[in-house]
Amino acid sequence: MSWYRSKLERDLARWQAAGWVSPTGAGAIRRDLDQRKSLFGAAPALAVLGAVLFGFAVMSFVAAHWTGMSKLARLLLLLGTLWACYGGAALLFQRQLNAFAHAAVLGGIAVYGASIMLIAQMYHMEGNPADALLLWALGALLAAVLTGSAPALAATFVLLSVWSCWERLGSESAHVTFLLPWAGAALTAAWLGWRPAFHLAALSLVIWIVPLGFLIWGHHAHWLVVLIGGAVALAAAGWGEALDRHLPVSAALFAYGLGVAYAGLFILQFLDDNRWLVGSAESGGVARLLVLAVLSLALVLGAMLWALKSDNRPALWLAYAAFALEIFALYVRTLGSFLNTSLFFLLAALIVSALAWLAYRLHQSKVATGAGA
Amino acid sequence: MKLFGTRTVGALALVALLQTAALAVLVFDRVRLLQTGREITLPIIPVDPRDLFRGEYVELGYAVGRVPARLIEGPPPRPHDPFYVTLEKTQDGTWAPIKLTRDRPQETSGDRIVLKGRSRFGWLITDPSNTNAMNNVRYGIEQYFVPQGEGPRLEALARDKKLAALIAVDAGGNAAIKGLLIDGRLQYEEPLL
Repeated sequence: MSWYRSKLERDLARWQAAGWVSPTGAGAIRRDLDQRKSLFGAAPALAVLGAVLFGFAVMSFVAAHWTGMSKLARLLLLLGTLWACYGGAALLFQRQLNAFAHAAVLGGIAVYGASIMLIAQMYHMEGNPADALLLWALGALLAAVLTGSAPALAATFVLLSVWSCWERLGSESAHVTFLLPWAGAALTAAWLGWRPAFHLAALSLVIWIVPLGFLIWGHHAHWLVVLIGGAVALAAAGWGEALDRHLPVSAALFAYGLGVAYAGLFILQFLDDNRWLVGSAESGGVARLLVLAVLSLALVLGAMLWALKSDNRPALWLAYAAFALEIFALYVRTLGSFLNTSLFFLLAALIVSALAWLAYRLHQSKVATGAGA
Repeated sequence: MKLFGTRTVGALALVALLQTAALAVLVFDRVRLLQTGREITLPIIPVDPRDLFRGEYVELGYAVGRVPARLIEGPPPRPHDPFYVTLEKTQDGTWAPIKLTRDRPQETSGDRIVLKGRSRFGWLITDPSNTNAMNNVRYGIEQYFVPQGEGPRLEALARDKKLAALIAVDAGGNAAIKGLLIDGRLQYEEPLL
C-alpha cells in the first residue's frame, strides 16, 4: 500500500467516525484512488529496470564477441536490436500495455547510446567523449518528443546533465550551450505535464547553476549563484499565488531557490577560500565569514518561517538540513580559532531553542485561526 | 502516453529512422576518412612499455605528439579549442612537426601534411622563449581498442620490435588509425566494415 493510501485510510476512518464522510462517500473515494493507475507500480518499474539491464546486455555481448563478428555484422546486430526495441514498443502501445511500451522505448534509447559507444570503439575514435553524450541525449529527447514517453524524457535530463558536467570538467567554462537542449527538454516536460519531469528539469538546472561560480568571472562568482537562488525563492514566495493559478509549482520553486542560494553561500563561506572546509579561518577572513554566516542563518531561518507559514514541507526540511550543515561547517571551521567548542554549542542550542519556540507560536496561531474560521 | 494507433507506429518508426541515420553518419564519416584519407606511418612510442596490450585498449604515444612551444606560429590557439600541427617528412622518411597554428594552413607540398590536434591538458605553453617547453598534443589516434584475447599475441609481437601506426588523414586534418605495423609489416589492417 502506498504512503498516501495508508494515510488516506487512517483519515477516512477518522472522518467517518466523526460523521463528516458517509460510508458510500468513503467507498467512492477508495474506488477513485484504485482507478488512478500509478506510474510507479511494481510491473512498470521492473519493466523499466529490465530495459536498462537489456541495454547493458547488448553492450557487453557485442563487446565480448569482438573477434567473432565482422564490423558489418556488429553494426547490423546493433541496428536490428534498435529497431526491435521500437517495433516492440509499437506493438505494446497497440495492446494498451503502455508501461511496458515505455520501457521498450527506454530500451531503444539504451541501445542507441550503446551503439554510439561501440561504433566509436570499432573505429578507434577518440574525439570528444562529451559529443557522444550529447548525441545520445538528443536521441533520447527525440524519442521523448515524438512518442510522449516520460521515461525517455527522464533519461534525456540525466544524459544532458552528464554531458554538461563532462564538458565543463574538460573546458572549465560555463557551458552556456547546455541551456539550449535543456530548454527543449523542459518544454517537452511542460507539454507532457509529467510532474517528476519538472523536478528533473529543476535539478539538472541546479546542477548547472551551482558550480557556475567556479567557472566564470575569475572563478569567484558565487555571489551570482546566491542572487539567482535568492531571486527565485523570493519570486516564488511573492508571486506564488498568481503562479499557482497556472501551474502549482511555487512551493517547489521556493525550495529549489533556497537550495541554490544556500549552496552559493556555503561555497562562499567554506570552499571559496581554498581551504576546503577544514582549514581554520585566517584572522582577516573572520569578519567575512561572520558576515556570510549571519547572512546564511538569516536566509535559512527566514526560509524556515516562510515554509512553516506556507505549509511548504520540502522547503522546511531543506531549511533544517541547511541549518544543520551550516552549524556543523561553522563548528569545523572555527574549531580552535576564535570561538571555543562549548561556546559554539551554546550558541547553536540558543538558536534552535528560539526556533522551536517560534514554530510553537506559529502552530498555536494557526490552530487558533483554524478554530475561529 | 498520449498517442495511439498508427500515429504511434509512425512516431516510433521516425525515432528509429533518425537514430539509425545518426549512427550511419558516424560510420560513413569514418569510412570515408579511412578510404580517401592520405596515408602516413607514424612510429609508436609505448606509453607503458611493460604492459602495452594489457587492457581493453592501449594508449599509443607518438613522437609527433610532443610539439615544442617555439613552433607556435601566429596567434596562439584559444584554450580547449582544436588547432593544427603541420608535419614535414624528414630526410630519414619520418614525420616531424614544423609548426602549430590556430587556423588550418594550406599545404600543397607532398612532403607536408596537416593534422588537427587538441592539447592533452586543454591549454598550451605558448611562451616561445621557453625553448625546452613541450606541448602534449592529441590527434584522436591515441586509443587503440584491442580485440579480446588478442592482447598477449600483440604484446609478444610488439616485444623489442618497432611498432608503428598506419594513419589516414583527410583534408580537414582529421586522423584515424588504419592499422598497426610491426617491424614495418602491416599486422592489423582495420576492415572498413
